[in-house]
Amino acid sequence: MNRFSGKISKIEVNGSLSLVTVAASERITIKTIIIETPETAAYLKIGNTIQVLFKETEVVLGLNQKQAISLQNRINGTIIQIEKGALLSKVVIDTEIGSLVSVVSTEAIKELNLEENQEVIAMIKLNEIMLSE
Amino acid sequence: MIKLNVSKSLDSVEGKINLRLNLQIEKGQFVTIYGESGAGKTSTLRMLAGLLQPDDGEVYVDNEVWFNKQNNIDRAPQKRKVAYVFQDYALFPHLTVKGNLEFAQTTKDTAYLEELILKMELGELINRKPATLSGGQKQRVALARALAQKPEILLLDEPLAALDIKIRLKLQEYLRQIHQEYNLTTILISHDLGEIIKLSDRVFVLEKGQIIKSGSPTEVFVDQQISGKFKFTGEVTKIEKQEVVYIVTVLIDQNVVKVIAQETEINNLKIGDKVMVASKAFNPLIYKIDE
Repeated sequence: MNRFSGKISKIEVNGSLSLVTVAASERITIKTIIIETPETAAYLKIGNTIQVLFKETEVVLGLNQKQAISLQNRINGTIIQIEKGALLSKVVIDTEIGSLVSVVSTEAIKELNLEENQEVIAMIKLNEIMLSE
Repeated sequence: MIKLNVSKSLDSVEGKINLRLNLQIEKGQFVTIYGESGAGKTSTLRMLAGLLQPDDGEVYVDNEVWFNKQNNIDRAPQKRKVAYVFQDYALFPHLTVKGNLEFAQTTKDTAYLEELILKMELGELINRKPATLSGGQKQRVALARALAQKPEILLLDEPLAALDIKIRLKLQEYLRQIHQEYNLTTILISHDLGEIIKLSDRVFVLEKGQIIKSGSPTEVFVDQQISGKFKFTGEVTKIEKQEVVYIVTVLIDQNVVKVIAQETEINNLKIGDKVMVASKAFNPLIYKIDE
């Protein structure tokens, strides 16, 4: 799994859901929606250091900065390695917050002409991110 | 409330160990003692039952003294309101199921015995001898026999370890039920993580005669608190590499699930390891099953 450390910078609560913003660096924030509130989970405190976890298979890769899609979690980086399988490929991306891995279809790699040293945007859906102490 | 503050020097297979315990168990709790063999788990239960005398210390139950070395108090096992269930059933082979239950009663109470037979679903077995019963049936009889003594404390020394998973799951249900219905304080020795998490309020981890960790099962066994709401513990049964990912097969209760993992996650993982499988509540689909 991908794991990054950050500080909780914002918590929006509605009912039993919280939209938590984690600042992984000065420029990169990662948002997640969880079924916890500051009342049910002690780690939900502004300024608290927390781990964000997400699976490699949930990372979407894009080329263009101005894509009209709903994914808000966007992390810029440079591809440093592509490991190709028949159906799936593993892409390692160097980002400001460390290495990030994405597993996508090999076909997609071909279609987008992804190769090493290329700049890409890694995107993760809000609901695919877990928090851990 | 059980207060156990005792020491005992033991000769185990791994050599001499000094069992040094200081623990408190709230009335009505279901507690598990977990640890490697030779850690002193069974000796702990035996000292509480009065079957093994501590070298020093004291045992209090509901503010009554059961053992006190200094004052030379050592209450006899039969006066301790404790029932003990072992892995090997320990039923009397020459007595029928009913005979085994009756023998355990200090004062005859037919109505209560009938209730136990009903509750443990032993109706069809009452005239059978233990040798004709399956392992799961024997253990149900052993449990009923333990309850026939109307104990306040139930001690379970790996009672389900020899049974296959299906029977084990069913008996776990019985254990949970009787613990609640008879207001028991139950102390279980178990190695089965799923069982421990399912049944116990509190876990004590025993290592070489000392309690090194205690808390709720998740506090003790799950190192990290994780926000995922779709969480299960299971055992790794297979790890296979497929292209750029690994497929890890995990047995959770009776269900086999598969999880895609990366090399970094499977580095320290081997067959038989206990694992937590976690996902977010947002991911699973839910279907009604037509009956």
